Amino acid sequence: MKKETNMKVSQKRTAKLRIGALGVITAAAVALSGCAAGAPQNESGKKTLNAIFLPADWGKVVQEKLAPEYEKETGVKVNVELVGRDAIHEKMATLFAGQDSSYDIFNVDYNWIPEFGKGGHLVPLDNAIQDKEDFLPLSLKVATWDNKLLGIPQTVHPATLWYNSALYGDQSMKDQYQAETGRALAVPKTMDEWLTQVKFFNGKTFKGQKLSGWAAQAAKGFGNVHTWLSFAYSFGCNPFNADFTKSTLTTPECIGATERWSEMMKYMPAGANDFTYDSVTTAAQQGSIATAIQWSWGQTATDNPSASKTVGDWQMTTIPTGPTGISSAHLAEWVISVSKYSKNTEEATKFAVWLESKKNDVLQANNGGGDPVRASSYSDPTLTEQKIEGNGAARFRRLPTTLEAMKTAQPRPFFPGEESWETALSTELSAISLGQRGVQEGLSRANDAIDKNLSQ
Amino acid sequence: MTTSITESRVSRKAARPSGAPGGRRPKKLGRYFAMSPGLLFLAALSLYPTLYSLVVSFTRWNLSSGEAARFVGVDNFVGLLTDGLFWNSVRVTLVFVFFSVLIELALSFGLALLFFRGFPGDKLLRALIMMPMLCAPVVVGLLARFSLEPTYGIVNQLMRSIGLPTTEFLGNVDLALPTLIAIDVWQWTPFLFLILLAAMQGLPEEVIEASKIDGASWPRIIWHQFLPLLRYPILVGVLLRLIDSFRVYDIVYMTTRGGPVDATSTMSWQIYNVGFRAFNISYAAAFSWLLLLLVLLAANSLMRRMVARS
Repeated sequence: MKKETNMKVSQKRTAKLRIGALGVITAAAVALSGCAAGAPQNESGKKTLNAIFLPADWGKVVQEKLAPEYEKETGVKVNVELVGRDAIHEKMATLFAGQDSSYDIFNVDYNWIPEFGKGGHLVPLDNAIQDKEDFLPLSLKVATWDNKLLGIPQTVHPATLWYNSALYGDQSMKDQYQAETGRALAVPKTMDEWLTQVKFFNGKTFKGQKLSGWAAQAAKGFGNVHTWLSFAYSFGCNPFNADFTKSTLTTPECIGATERWSEMMKYMPAGANDFTYDSVTTAAQQGSIATAIQWSWGQTATDNPSASKTVGDWQMTTIPTGPTGISSAHLAEWVISVSKYSKNTEEATKFAVWLESKKNDVLQANNGGGDPVRASSYSDPTLTEQKIEGNGAARFRRLPTTLEAMKTAQPRPFFPGEESWETALSTELSAISLGQRGVQEGLSRANDAIDKNLSQ
Repeated sequence: MTTSITESRVSRKAARPSGAPGGRRPKKLGRYFAMSPGLLFLAALSLYPTLYSLVVSFTRWNLSSGEAARFVGVDNFVGLLTDGLFWNSVRVTLVFVFFSVLIELALSFGLALLFFRGFPGDKLLRALIMMPMLCAPVVVGLLARFSLEPTYGIVNQLMRSIGLPTTEFLGNVDLALPTLIAIDVWQWTPFLFLILLAAMQGLPEEVIEASKIDGASWPRIIWHQFLPLLRYPILVGVLLRLIDSFRVYDIVYMTTRGGPVDATSTMSWQIYNVGFRAFNISYAAAFSWLLLLLVLLAANSLMRRMVARS
């Protein structure tokens, strides 16, 4: 009896040990499979690239059209993941810190080029492009850090002044404007003219819509900074000294620009302090604003008949000139970079270059993927001769303005701490626009916060 | 008495079989072996990162710089304690936690009382009340953002239809934080309601009946019977909500992103900003440890008070 009991105890113990061992093996297997997940995969000897793109139209074009096309042409499979802007930034930093090779290619907002360029995480691509002269010079400049080209420009969006041409062409509006201001209603060339028109249009009703004078991105985060930059640059404000060691936001030019921006905020729609790119697009589609500062490629959305009441109406011009006669837009641009830790840098570079071949630059623009980066694309008949179906307006009528704006546009402060700079300035701009602080006080506080960041 | 306990322990110890195969050591080893996967996971996923973040908090390390971390002692903590943004985030977090948990507790208690005795259709209504809790906070944030949008949002459209003015719930410095509190209350009141209702339904019926026979009114019964008897379920519920509220991030990310100005910049949001926008990972680690300390302090003082009163 005792022997039997002992045997049962022994059997139970063995069973427990087996379960324990199984648990350990399972844990190890799961852990190992997790480690292996990032390794490049081979499907019957095929090379595979892993890429992260923004879930904007230019990312979707790569995922849906260009990556499958590349696989057909070369046999190299490209897995394209679409990830939001903040998440791309986070992933890049964490993967690079761990020298992780999971991803070969990243869609990069150009203001991260100094940050990741300084860390030495990106592959120089200077020798990869054979026809650099065809690329818009500014687009290459902001993809370069420490004299190395670290990204191939994919799409550019300088800020432009949008105006509703139906409103500007309306005889009744023209007469009222003439009567009120003594001047003919014409597309504004200067900041002063624009302010006069914004005040005039604000509160008027057109096609059953009550109008606001203008709209632009104004939300805290980066939106208000991006809009403010077009004012700042056109007023001759330079937010930093030459070597980015001191914030210079309290110069008369910066104060003047901020005062004008703050004054104009009064003529934006309700809730404007929270306006994002999408909010501006919606307002433009509804025809509830007279003018806007918006990225050039946004015209694709306002020309979409299924979502817009203003198809073909929105026209663009360059940002109005400030007191010194300068017109300089804030530049937005995305580039394609190759990770230094990729195990396929050569193949990844080939793909990045292929994406921005002459043919594909036009193809991307034609599919709504932002404005082209090659000068030749701006005169390509595929784009220039295309009309909006059922409307007759030129689908790419914005291109001449984009090209003109690219001559004088300026990037965000191009240094490794740009994201922190935006955060600090954005908070103070938010306070200024909400009347929580005066312009000088807000800029002074932003100066202090930025200088503190720079000293760390 | 002490002697008898000791004796009984000794006798039990003596009665245990010693040595193989029934010996204590192999049995213990087997247990540890069986537990090892769980312990390993716990150590790898929780203990190691926690301790590592403590080490990082004493260094200067920017994730994107490509430079190695270097030891700076308590510089990050000193920097934080003299940083206006840190103190603002502490203030915002404390206001958020205090009001959201307090309102949730009051509402859930009221709702539980309402549902305690039951009424026709109470089951359907109870299921409907639970629904916000089943949504992911990110989805709730997104819904709130669209619903509260001044021009096209449904809330403002309804307000305008009854003659109320358009209100910037998320873009107004004075309204943004109360709006976030309201969103949190909408989502998490059902959680406390569920705990309190279950606890109320477990109360002994005789106590209530006896109080009634003694002529006590309902408010007196609630005050003198319900509240003391429900102390521990309330404590558990409030503690869980307290901890959860301290790390509020999702709805801030989806609605205000810390704005307008820094009116909704909670500690978790600020940690995200420092750690994942500026990649100042060491400063963010120090920030996280101060948040942890604050949560522990709040939870501990609450528990002490409740236990002391009982």
